[in-house]
Amino acid sequence: MNPTYLIDGILLCVAGTVAAAVLPLFGGGRGLRRLTLSLLAVATGIGASVGIAAFIEGMPLGAAPAIFGFRIAFDALSASFFILLNAVACVVSLYSIAYVDGQADAYGVRRLDALTALFILGMQGVLLATTPFSFLLSWETMSMSSFFLVMADKKPESIRAGLFYLIMTHLGAGAILAGFMLLSGGAAFASFGQMALTAQSAPHAIVLLAFALTFFGFGSKAGLWPFHLWLPEAHPQAPSHISALMSGVMLKMALYGFLRLLLSVFPPIPSAWTLPVIALGLLSAVFGALYAIIERDFKRLLAYSSIENLGLMFTMLGAAAFARANALPALANAALAAVVLHAIAHAVFKSGLFMGAGAIVHELHTRDLESMGGLAKRMPKFSGAMLVLALGAVAMPPFSAFMSEWLFLQNVVEAIRLSAPFVQGVLIVILSGVAFVGGLAIFAMVKMFGIAFLALPRSERASQAEEPAAGLSWPVYAMAALTFLVGLLAPALLRAFGFMRETDGGRLLAGGGALAPSSVALLFAAIGTGVVLARKVFSDARRERSYHSWDCGQPMTEKMEYTATAFSAPMRFFFRLMLHARKNVTAIPIVATNPWIARRESRLEVRPLWMEALYAPVARAVLYASTQARRLHNGIIQFYIALILVALIATLAIAL
Amino acid sequence: MNPVILTLIQTAVVLALSPFALGCVRLFKARLQGRRGASPFQPYFAFATLLRKEMVISEGVSWVFRLTPYVVLASSLFLALVLPLVVRGGALGSLGDIFVTAGALAVGAIFLVFGGLDTGSAFGGMGSSREMTIASLLEPTIILVFATLALATGSTGLDGIVSAGLSVGSAPFLALTIAALALVALAENARYPADNPATHLELTMVHEAMILEYSGPYLAMLEYASTIKLSAFVLLIANLVFPATLVGTASSPAAVILAVGATLLKLVLGMGALALLESMISKMRFYRMQEYLTGAFFLALSGLALALIQHAV
Amino acid sequence: MPSIFKLLHYLFLGPRVTEPRSAFKNDVDAAVETVGSELKGVIDRLYGGRSLRIRAVDGGSTNAEEVEMTALGNAYYDIERFGLSFVASPRHADMLWVTGPVTRNLERAVKTTYEATPHPCIVVAVGDGACTGGIWKGSYAVVGPVEAVIPVHVKIPGDPPSPARMLAGILEALRSSSKN
Repeated sequence: MNPTYLIDGILLCVAGTVAAAVLPLFGGGRGLRRLTLSLLAVATGIGASVGIAAFIEGMPLGAAPAIFGFRIAFDALSASFFILLNAVACVVSLYSIAYVDGQADAYGVRRLDALTALFILGMQGVLLATTPFSFLLSWETMSMSSFFLVMADKKPESIRAGLFYLIMTHLGAGAILAGFMLLSGGAAFASFGQMALTAQSAPHAIVLLAFALTFFGFGSKAGLWPFHLWLPEAHPQAPSHISALMSGVMLKMALYGFLRLLLSVFPPIPSAWTLPVIALGLLSAVFGALYAIIERDFKRLLAYSSIENLGLMFTMLGAAAFARANALPALANAALAAVVLHAIAHAVFKSGLFMGAGAIVHELHTRDLESMGGLAKRMPKFSGAMLVLALGAVAMPPFSAFMSEWLFLQNVVEAIRLSAPFVQGVLIVILSGVAFVGGLAIFAMVKMFGIAFLALPRSERASQAEEPAAGLSWPVYAMAALTFLVGLLAPALLRAFGFMRETDGGRLLAGGGALAPSSVALLFAAIGTGVVLARKVFSDARRERSYHSWDCGQPMTEKMEYTATAFSAPMRFFFRLMLHARKNVTAIPIVATNPWIARRESRLEVRPLWMEALYAPVARAVLYASTQARRLHNGIIQFYIALILVALIATLAIAL
Repeated sequence: MNPVILTLIQTAVVLALSPFALGCVRLFKARLQGRRGASPFQPYFAFATLLRKEMVISEGVSWVFRLTPYVVLASSLFLALVLPLVVRGGALGSLGDIFVTAGALAVGAIFLVFGGLDTGSAFGGMGSSREMTIASLLEPTIILVFATLALATGSTGLDGIVSAGLSVGSAPFLALTIAALALVALAENARYPADNPATHLELTMVHEAMILEYSGPYLAMLEYASTIKLSAFVLLIANLVFPATLVGTASSPAAVILAVGATLLKLVLGMGALALLESMISKMRFYRMQEYLTGAFFLALSGLALALIQHAV
Repeated sequence: MPSIFKLLHYLFLGPRVTEPRSAFKNDVDAAVETVGSELKGVIDRLYGGRSLRIRAVDGGSTNAEEVEMTALGNAYYDIERFGLSFVASPRHADMLWVTGPVTRNLERAVKTTYEATPHPCIVVAVGDGACTGGIWKGSYAVVGPVEAVIPVHVKIPGDPPSPARMLAGILEALRSSSKN
């Protein structure tokens, strides 16, 4: 057992990423671009393999060197996220070769590639960091590079989204920094292990404050309600491969950060503190899913779905902490396993969906679902992969997300049996909340696939769409295959990660229940084959004729199809109190004498409640304060000097 | 008896009897309306006719439209194979996990919705939108009902739940839970008050609107799938009320024959109850379905609460 | 609340308002029964099953035929017992019942409905208008009888034909087509 090759591997991976970030500075030629991105793919590929190798070697930590607070080694948690990050990044960088080539006129290609590599480097750093300083350094690298990436196309709405993102992410980063400083007693270079010792002896109130701050910090980065507003703005504005990285991986970094603190730094969390985590997680999941249902922009829909999934993960995480505080170790372990599994599942299907969305946007030049349609007929193979990813996204068996939700819900049901009434109440809320969100998520994804890929094309471009180029479609196929494989191998993966040591690697276990993903997949395949055979045996009628859809005798056009807006109308009605959707119909009479003959225009407005209730008052308060502060600018120099003097005295008084 | 043989018997019985069950509902409803009605074997003839007919496929449709009948039928077949409908302890019983079952139901609903959308007709889209709304909002109730049963019996497979032999007498919460399950079954199977299975008016349709474009063998597959689903739900509910009517692996061939007879009886009685119910109530306005769905959810929730109280005592 | 009890009281304990069966059972109805059962036998042979699904198409009728058709489904005639049923989509149908002289506005509708129905498909022209053009024959607004638009297998004259005659007409047509 010689772990040095692991160290070399990690160093090679990081060095390759650094090189990929530097290479674009030497020119923007096509060959160099390909070299850069291939280098990035190779480096991240090595990273993913090293992560897997670390599991095989059993996480040797012994003589791992540390450089500036980055320890060149893994534990199970960072290794699993390292694999997740690098595997997705590897596929995404291969995808970006073809994708950015096609959009070279919209983006500054050199800057884009360098920032992408930097972005990945930042995330690698987050996973290797063991001190507040190194963690926040990487965190900021990640945040700042992604901020510039959001604004890559320099459109006004992208810049607006980018600035909003910048503010929110820095509020979060500030909170995380403050939380870290409270926990470490002000030492920026203390390792997480030392922080845990300090936190043990820290006063209760300080730990609570640090918990609240870090929860806000990581929660706002992960897009938890109500700090999520930046997410559906920023993610879709970025180029699609960056959206894939942001939604698929960057959000997981927030999850990782919070998990890391909970597992290695915080002293055992009291039960009451975990309730806000669960509550915000569930609320994010519900609102994310509801907004995904009514959204008409392909990429924004996916971004809302990310909010929903991160909400679910935080619910699972909160449930794990809650179970630990209430002496339910089985649920605590299973919920943690489910978080990690769901993070992997989400990273795979969401990056696949975003890359697929990129390929479609590339083909159709629009993100609007209402201008799509009929793509399944025109790109059958690609739409098949997207269908698999969409089914994976709604946690259908036997795909990966189903396995994590199964594991979680089974254990919740099991735990309800064993616990005290109050705990039961919380668990029932979690159970019904997750089931409710599951139903809503199905609606959102069915709408996405149904409106974008099925029926008649709703626009000229959609009717001329063709299968995307191989460079754009293969990464999506790979992700679709992975969605299935991760589901199939879920028990083995969890066993390797150390969450389910007692299984044989073929079945998920939960209390009384067991589930073998392979037999479920096999059963589905067998039933499917049976149906196909039965169809052949019982009816040899091969006669079929093509004719247009039944139109009641009047010619039918794509204008008569159900639109994305119409499809979600019942949901908008049922949840009108939560959604605040307003439909305005304006009628402009065409014939002056007859008010009934009019041109009507229907406009649907969705105003998020918390935008008005939470963000607007803050914005107004800041504006008011700065208007008041402006009064100090009276143009008298003596007054300014006096102010400087007062400031100096105040500083000295505090410092001494 | 061998569990494999038991599963085969169950599947054969359910597949063979389900069109008869549908014929029974129609017959009973006709009788309640004062008509003579078609023979209960009418659905068999309808399927036989459809299987021989030509298919007219819409021009704009993709491969999803053709895949739909297969997936929907497979989803129903899953229920017939896995759930404890005629026997318990079947060979595939261990796969009848509550969440897998809910997932299989959802896959069927999802593909039906895709089939409706793919034709590009406004009716298909409308039916799909409604079906998806109902299916997605039923999801929490299904999970909650199954979770309650799992809690009370300590088994998360439907096979184990039914085998535990709970009865309404000893476990009063079962009445609430089964009522919630019945509401789920009505909405899932597009019966009153969620949908009118006999309507010809496109604007009032839910299920029917999605399959308007299917013809010939594909239509037969979809209609057959919905009859299997209806029978499976009726049998499941009946088995929860009368768990003793199921046979296990330890029983003799005579008992198996008796259980098959009991299945027939349960189907006829269940369909009679359904026909009676459908003759007494009217279809709900679609935009009031949230009351129905919320009601079902809270029924299931109170069942769970009652089960926990009973469990604690 | 009391109104519900009033209603229930009236429904179950009130005076009987329907006539006894013997009061309206006459020869005509006996004919329906015989025709119906024969029809059942023919459908049996023809389709190997006993199911015939009907799609009604209005080609510009006065609605008189539709009213009679609706009567076929009521408790008195109840064609469901013979294995016939009306369906909501031409895709599901084995048989089209077209009514009315085909007007210029509905010519396309009749044609596309015929095309949209899977074959074999029996087309029945119901009523004088559909068979010959009736009193609208030669009008500038109509295309003419259904024959002028799509092939017709069966004609059921009458303005409107009674439900019993509709059943008889179909029986006759099926007989002749089963011979071929």
